Amino acid sequence: MHKVLIIDDSEINLTLIRALVLKLGECEPVMFDHPLKALEWCRGNVPDLVIVDYMMPEMDGLRFIAAFRALHGRTEIPVLMITANDQKDVRYEALLGGANDFLTKPIDRIEFSARVRNMLALRTGQKFLADRAAHLAGEVAERTRDIRERERELIFRISRAAEFRDPETGAHIQRMAHYSEIIARGLDLDAATCNLILQAAPLHDVGKIGIRDHILLKPGKLTPQEFDIMKQHAMLGYDLLKDSGSEILQAGAEIARSHHEKYDGSGYPRGLKGNAIPLFGRIVAVADVFDALTSERPYKKAWPLDDAMRFLEEGRSTHFDPLCVESFIAGWEEVLEVRQRFRDEEAPKI
Amino acid sequence: MNPYVLDKPAILERLGGDEDIFAMMVDMFLNEQDNNRQALLAALAADSAALQREAHTIKGLLATFSDGLGAELAQALEYQAKSGLVDDAQARVTELLARVDEVAGVLRGLSAG
Repeated sequence: MHKVLIIDDSEINLTLIRALVLKLGECEPVMFDHPLKALEWCRGNVPDLVIVDYMMPEMDGLRFIAAFRALHGRTEIPVLMITANDQKDVRYEALLGGANDFLTKPIDRIEFSARVRNMLALRTGQKFLADRAAHLAGEVAERTRDIRERERELIFRISRAAEFRDPETGAHIQRMAHYSEIIARGLDLDAATCNLILQAAPLHDVGKIGIRDHILLKPGKLTPQEFDIMKQHAMLGYDLLKDSGSEILQAGAEIARSHHEKYDGSGYPRGLKGNAIPLFGRIVAVADVFDALTSERPYKKAWPLDDAMRFLEEGRSTHFDPLCVESFIAGWEEVLEVRQRFRDEEAPKI
Repeated sequence: MNPYVLDKPAILERLGGDEDIFAMMVDMFLNEQDNNRQALLAALAADSAALQREAHTIKGLLATFSDGLGAELAQALEYQAKSGLVDDAQARVTELLARVDEVAGVLRGLSAG
């Protein structure tokens, strides 16, 4: 049903136009004998076609069209202006002012029907395109969500692949990622960045895929030579992920390369110092070490929480960025919730 | 001026042959006749902008009933009012109102018949 707005100060014209509009079918005429009242109606309603007389007291058709077009979302709606044959100058002005076509007085039904139908067909086309655009935008958003979800899942599975060859568990990945996110929030990073570190932190040890089993899985202490090889996992992870088009993988590359750096410059692989270490690396270092300490491994018992926290505090400014340690401790309640939520014995949640 | 002769076929053709709409238009013309008269007289006493507008309205009404001569009278008054020169406005308004009465008379006869 098309809403046809009719504005004419002459009652006889309103009645005639209404009758002709009704004859077209599929039309619902809305009539006003005063342009200001019609404009008020237009603030809350969207007509499919406007038929407006030119000569009216207080506000003529040209001024009405200008005011109507100035309302939000009304620039495309077809407008027909009713003029007398002799008002050529008015017609030129109306065309420039946003009228789409004219109706000549006295009104001729054949001309009226043809022009109104044309304008309504135009409006139908506009609505179809708008609906289609909205539909397509919705589809794109849905597909994008799917792809993001797949990306997230694949990243988790890649991270797991590395951990399968290691005593560490899927729950470790979840915990250290959430700890990292807690620290990021405590540092007042924006929501998108906090989410990015949550998604990318699991990739920190992905380079372990490239470390031979006899070193990676060695039950005893590594020799200095073996430890040197073990250290290569940081750069291996970086090489595996760098240059990706994915923002998450890019962040993962940076985290892989920098999460074993230490604040005083004694870490590896590059021996970076202080804020020269990328922020994500500084954050993940705290999260990863804390979880490694407080988890049980074949070669060690889990540390008590207090001891692990003391280790972080003592490592401020030497091992860790002091702000990251502070942020972690400030989020202690949440840290405990994450520990509770992701326990080692449970199957990892994807 | 030639007397008004109703050319119903021409009017009907413009209305797409719809007798109902034609009858409705006749009724409305007759019902609005007094209002239009009052409005034109009030405009004559007011200003040239009002006179231009009312003459324009009556031009449209007369054209609707295919009264070419009546519409010309109204148009002449409308144009004069637009340019601000209305020396013999009183006489022109009287002439125009007489024409409206004449058309109304014909239409009333039609309505009664």
